[in-house]
Amino acid sequence: MTDVTLSARPATTLSWSWTEALKHAVLIIGALIVILPFYVMVSYSLKSPGEIDRNEGGFFGAQETMVNPRCVKRAEPDRTAIEAARPDFPGKTDREIKAAMMEQIEAGCSSRPVVFNYTMAFSEAPLLRYLLNGVIVTASIFLIQNIVALPCAYALAKLRWRGRNFVFTMVLFCLLIPVHAIALPLYLGLAKLGLTNTYAALIIPWTISVFGIFLMRQFFMTVPDDLIDAARMDGMSEFGIIWKVMLPTAIPALLAFAIFSVVAHWNDYFWPRIVVTGTRELFTPPLGLREFKGDADGSFFGPMMATATVIVTPLIVAFLLAQRRFIEGITQTGMK
Amino acid sequence: MVGIILNGVTKSFGDTSVLKGIDLDITDGEFLTLVGPSGCGKSTLLRIIAELEQQSGGDVRIGNRLVNSVRAAERNLAMVFQSYALYQHLTVAQNMTVPLRLRELGFFERFPVIGRMMARSKHAAIIEQVRETADVLQIGPLLDRKPGQLSGGQRQRAALGRAMVRKPVAFLMNEPQSNPDTALRVHMRAEPAELHRDLGATFIYVPHDQAAALTMSDRMAVMMGGEILQLAPPEEVYANPSDLRVAQFVGSPKINTWDAVVDEIGRIHVGEMVLARRCNPGHGPRITVGLRPEHLQLVPGETMGSLSGTRVHRENLGADVYLHLDLGGPRIVVRADPGMAHNLTIGDMAHATPLRDKALIFATDGSRLSFAEGAPVAQATEVA
Amino acid sequence: MNRTAHIWFVAPATLLMIVILILPIFAAAVLSFTDYSLGNDSFKWVGDKNYDRIFNRSSFQKMFTATFTYVLVVVPLAVGLGLGVALLINSVSRFGDVYKTIYFLPVMAALLAMAIVWEFTLHPSVGLINQTLARGCGTWLEWFAFFRNGCEKTFPLWLGDRDYAIWTVSFIGIWQGFGFNMVLYLAGLTSVPRELYNAAEVDGAKTGWDRFRLVTWPMLGPTTVFVVTITCIRSFQVFDTVEAFYPSGGGPSKSVYVMMFAIFEKGIQQNLIGMGSAITVIFLGFVLILTLTQRWLVERRVHYS
Repeated sequence: MTDVTLSARPATTLSWSWTEALKHAVLIIGALIVILPFYVMVSYSLKSPGEIDRNEGGFFGAQETMVNPRCVKRAEPDRTAIEAARPDFPGKTDREIKAAMMEQIEAGCSSRPVVFNYTMAFSEAPLLRYLLNGVIVTASIFLIQNIVALPCAYALAKLRWRGRNFVFTMVLFCLLIPVHAIALPLYLGLAKLGLTNTYAALIIPWTISVFGIFLMRQFFMTVPDDLIDAARMDGMSEFGIIWKVMLPTAIPALLAFAIFSVVAHWNDYFWPRIVVTGTRELFTPPLGLREFKGDADGSFFGPMMATATVIVTPLIVAFLLAQRRFIEGITQTGMK
Repeated sequence: MVGIILNGVTKSFGDTSVLKGIDLDITDGEFLTLVGPSGCGKSTLLRIIAELEQQSGGDVRIGNRLVNSVRAAERNLAMVFQSYALYQHLTVAQNMTVPLRLRELGFFERFPVIGRMMARSKHAAIIEQVRETADVLQIGPLLDRKPGQLSGGQRQRAALGRAMVRKPVAFLMNEPQSNPDTALRVHMRAEPAELHRDLGATFIYVPHDQAAALTMSDRMAVMMGGEILQLAPPEEVYANPSDLRVAQFVGSPKINTWDAVVDEIGRIHVGEMVLARRCNPGHGPRITVGLRPEHLQLVPGETMGSLSGTRVHRENLGADVYLHLDLGGPRIVVRADPGMAHNLTIGDMAHATPLRDKALIFATDGSRLSFAEGAPVAQATEVA
Repeated sequence: MNRTAHIWFVAPATLLMIVILILPIFAAAVLSFTDYSLGNDSFKWVGDKNYDRIFNRSSFQKMFTATFTYVLVVVPLAVGLGLGVALLINSVSRFGDVYKTIYFLPVMAALLAMAIVWEFTLHPSVGLINQTLARGCGTWLEWFAFFRNGCEKTFPLWLGDRDYAIWTVSFIGIWQGFGFNMVLYLAGLTSVPRELYNAAEVDGAKTGWDRFRLVTWPMLGPTTVFVVTITCIRSFQVFDTVEAFYPSGGGPSKSVYVMMFAIFEKGIQQNLIGMGSAITVIFLGFVLILTLTQRWLVERRVHYS
């Protein structure tokens, strides 16, 4: 923070410099703190419960096969099972039969910790279902936001009509309202309509993205009028112009908005927590994880971290693949 | 092919009136240019003809059909835009098919795969039409490129192609942003003119500067302040402007003007000089006399009736040299022969004599005045 | 040109804006003067009783304390760290992009998931933090009072400790938020013309600090206004971490009982809609003041044309 002008000079020399080294040292320490929970999350999702408890095994853990106690408990042979198995073990006592069967079961229930953790994540809770819900909800929200916002942005940017300033002022005003803050009356309205615990409840409050209107309007302002006139001369309807002329030119802005919208709604916890209660069928990924935590005991750290990893990964991977786009998108949409 | 007739077309945005009653009769196959200073309403007029803008009053007729409430797409006019307005995400060929597809194919016939199956012959016809047009314009090899990959000249041709492909009754053209390369600019201007000759279609062209209008058009309309001041062939407009503003706008360098006084017998006094011809004394007492730079002749020494001034600036155009002379107050521009002009350096005294019968006179409101018939006054000091 | 098209384009958006964004505000304002709860057919007007309680009951005073402590800790630090890291990244000659990526990761990750991870990491006995700290026992680190106490008794419970809870939650808020600010500042820095630095140098701004004061900071003014506002609003809305750590009631001695959680608890869990609405209205008041201040600051420079 002391020598901001270094950036003004081209970085041609790579000679050792104390200030440069100090800066890197500071940045690396910061990076380690930032990355710590990610490290913990991924590492725990790979380790066995014992390793987690004792904090050993490095990042990957020893990956020794372990027995899943729940699996064993579920499969434990009762009287009838032992009776049924008797022909296979001629001349053995019940106790011996049970021991032999237990051995088989334990063999069947043992696995490497990483496999254990991730299979548990998907089998103990309908994680796939949660992910699917996440996709359904975020995709629907983004789609509807566009269907509503793009025509409005187009009309605000490129058409002349009475009341345009009024509507634009309304948009600017609505930009000030954080939707989370008015969750209570929204919840009330949805409850009155009998819509809680439906996909509709998860989606409806987000169908209007004032922010999307504003962003797209600003972008549409930069599209030359000639292009729109040309389309009119070509015989396109106003509606056609939005989707066939404006939309293709607005891809960069749209992408930025998509990133903003998807990140916000995939990660949203507050609103799903309010309108979805009980029915696991409708849980979004964060809700699912929350519930997992709620009924987990100590030995389930591993599977829980596996769940967290699975939930966090899609966005992180997308981010790492298209970093520049993401950062641009978030900044563009961030800077009103 | 059909003519376009405008009757008393007006347009105002709120309180500002942009067009104040335009009457224009464009005949079939004519190449008409609209010129005027920026903000004179020429672009608005073009947009009204295309119905991209609705006129506040008056009628537009295309081929004797009143089209006031006919949508842009159905007027069957083509427009070439200043920025070309090509769809950046489509190839040249796709750009050219857009107007055809939207006109000739039904809603379902435009669907990617089904459409092609439903109306195979129509699709084939469209492709054929695009190919023909591309051949005419020699843009066949460019058809699969996107506008971003084309040069300025190629873009213009693609835009012309998109306009031509549907065989419109008339072309409306806003000259593209002027190109810094003079040779290319001349070439790009030649293209619409050639096209006009080949197709024989009606063209309404809005050029950037009047030089283009003078060279290209059958007739030019000079617009100022939302009115057409003069509508005539370019030579006529240049030689015989109907208004001082027209005289000043057309021609480069600008026409020289002097304030003059008309006396009771119609003689016109410019400073101490008197013009050879007289005008009706009723036009007076104050008028403006205009004389184009080429109607002044540089002479080696001061002679009877010559104007003398110091050289302040020289515009060298190669074949011609324009000298700016300071007459001790008013400045004038004289076209000179390079040989003579080069001998003069800044600050030198130069002398020029007006050619006879070339001066134009205008009333104080700018309207053109005519000289009185009859013999010129025989007087030694008379000039021009 | 179709002259009525705009109606069809604007109507859906306008309608949704009114129904989803504007009407609920009025609804909250009206309900905040009632004792309404969901499922009841009728309600009573209770005047300003709800507000009276909010401003006089100790639990709500704790709510304000927690919220403002959180905001006042998170905003300056998240903004300052964002700026500091942006300047550092901007000034190093290599690996800037790597740092940028790493610092931005928390912004992308679901806060709830990361909250749960932090909870494990901060777990008093098996958590990585305290286990690591315990390794420092018996070394020169015991010279510090913090370590001496930790080794003799226990290291802090972090999330479970009344004295540490709000600070720990704030730390996670900073951890999650400053990367976003960093990116905004980096964008702001790219728009500072290089010539200005040269000019400053010529004018005699010799040290980095001088140049920062003279060029960087003033040029980042608009960015800072925006960054501060958005961080404020986000901090006011903190919920995920609090709910993850303390599902029932706002942490040890309600020291982390922030407003969004209060709305959730009163309005949704306890079905005291009137009460929840009153907190909502106060909350909206804060947000409005903040954004209007920002608009006022920005409007003097920027105009949306």
